[in-house]
Amino acid sequence: MKLSRFCFAAVFTSAVLFAAGGVKAYAQAPTDPQIAGIVQTANQIDINQAKLALKKSTNPQVKEFANQMISDHTNLEKSVDDLAKKLGVTPEDSDTSRQLKQQAADESKKLRGLHGKAFDKEYASHEVAYHQAVIDAAKNTLIPNAKNADLKSALEGAAPLLQGHMEHAQQLEQSLSGK
Amino acid sequence: MSRHQQHPHKYRSRSEAVFRELTFSHVAPPLLHGCKIILAAVAVAVLCALGLGAQGAKPASGTNHTVVIKQMHFDPSQQTVQAGETVEWKNEDIFSHTVTADDGSFDSGLIDPGHSWQRTFKSAQTLAYHCRPHPNMRATLMVQGATEQGGQTKTTGTDAGSTATLKWSPPRRPQEFHPILVNFTAALLPLSLLSDILGRIFRRQSFHHAAWWMVMYAALITPLTAAAGWWWRLTAGSALPAKLITVHQWLGTAAVLLFAALAIWRWCIHKRDTSPGLAYLTFALIAVLALVYQGSLGGRMVFGQ
Repeated sequence: MKLSRFCFAAVFTSAVLFAAGGVKAYAQAPTDPQIAGIVQTANQIDINQAKLALKKSTNPQVKEFANQMISDHTNLEKSVDDLAKKLGVTPEDSDTSRQLKQQAADESKKLRGLHGKAFDKEYASHEVAYHQAVIDAAKNTLIPNAKNADLKSALEGAAPLLQGHMEHAQQLEQSLSGK
Repeated sequence: MSRHQQHPHKYRSRSEAVFRELTFSHVAPPLLHGCKIILAAVAVAVLCALGLGAQGAKPASGTNHTVVIKQMHFDPSQQTVQAGETVEWKNEDIFSHTVTADDGSFDSGLIDPGHSWQRTFKSAQTLAYHCRPHPNMRATLMVQGATEQGGQTKTTGTDAGSTATLKWSPPRRPQEFHPILVNFTAALLPLSLLSDILGRIFRRQSFHHAAWWMVMYAALITPLTAAAGWWWRLTAGSALPAKLITVHQWLGTAAVLLFAALAIWRWCIHKRDTSPGLAYLTFALIAVLALVYQGSLGGRMVFGQ
């Protein structure tokens, strides 16, 4: 009897903590300037990783992929910049963008320590995970919270690009593991 | 078909007796009768599904010969042109894209924003293509009407449909071998199951013999089919959708082993001079269902969604 009461208390406490966590996350819903900031940070991170890949990898497929990331994300960055200017939104930093930067710094450090095939594999698999994470963030956080309709539709428009990058990264990952 | 008609009651009880003797003696007779009907219906349904799966999607006809690339899409995504005509792809997107044939027969290279690329299609074929940097951008081009004027007439796995050129050329590439061989596997295994089921229903040994031979042929030919598939995968696999090909290649390899196991089981049944029981038929049905799924994956890669 005592045990079951203890179990109930434990479950109840964790449920409350969970709910509190959810509320906290909700309270941190990003504003439009923060959303613009998160998108620019995410773009910049992928461009920087691609530049690192161009420097370190000798695999033509990896280089091709990295060049594409630089080209696509530079174009995306430019379109977001143009939109932000048009809307009079100045991109702002937020906890999310700072967190992204910190994660990117950790990953870059890891990548710098790797060479050859190990580098290529880590880069490809991280690109898969990274794009998946960005797709999820756009779908679950950025798009639902965007107030401005133009910003919202721009985010929705970027989803197929991110999806394309992820599938390309998956192909790259697969062809690297096949060799 | 049968020379001497049997009395329905007599035939039914004899059939049940064999069922009980060979399979589950504890199962009640009315259920067995139901089983027969269900098994026969499932066999027919599976065959129908296989037949439907083999049909390629036929795009609607259009007369516009410019395909616009914008917002990560080829527009229109299904385009029909006449052989000898030129198609232009205009990139109106903010990103660079390619027009790359799934079978590797052409590749535009990167088309920068604001630029376009042209190609003339000489032979009738259905071409699935995609954007190399963005594999989720997929479209189809149907070239109609065979012309003999110059150019190489390529017969590929993707134009095995009704619009393919009528000129015979011996298969040389895995994209040609794999679809040819697949037909044998796709026909033999379900027919073997159907034949065994019919053998049970009509109690004719000749059906079981036919089933035995067909499962043997299927087990012999399927490794060749899989080998041609792997050959394709290794030579032009990067042009195929990554997720689909991964499932397809391993399911295909598993199917080779599955069919071999099935053939060995069927061999043992044949040696014992009995007809296969429900356990074997169920196993065979699973193999057939796996084959149908495998076929649908293959079709999706060649014909698009």
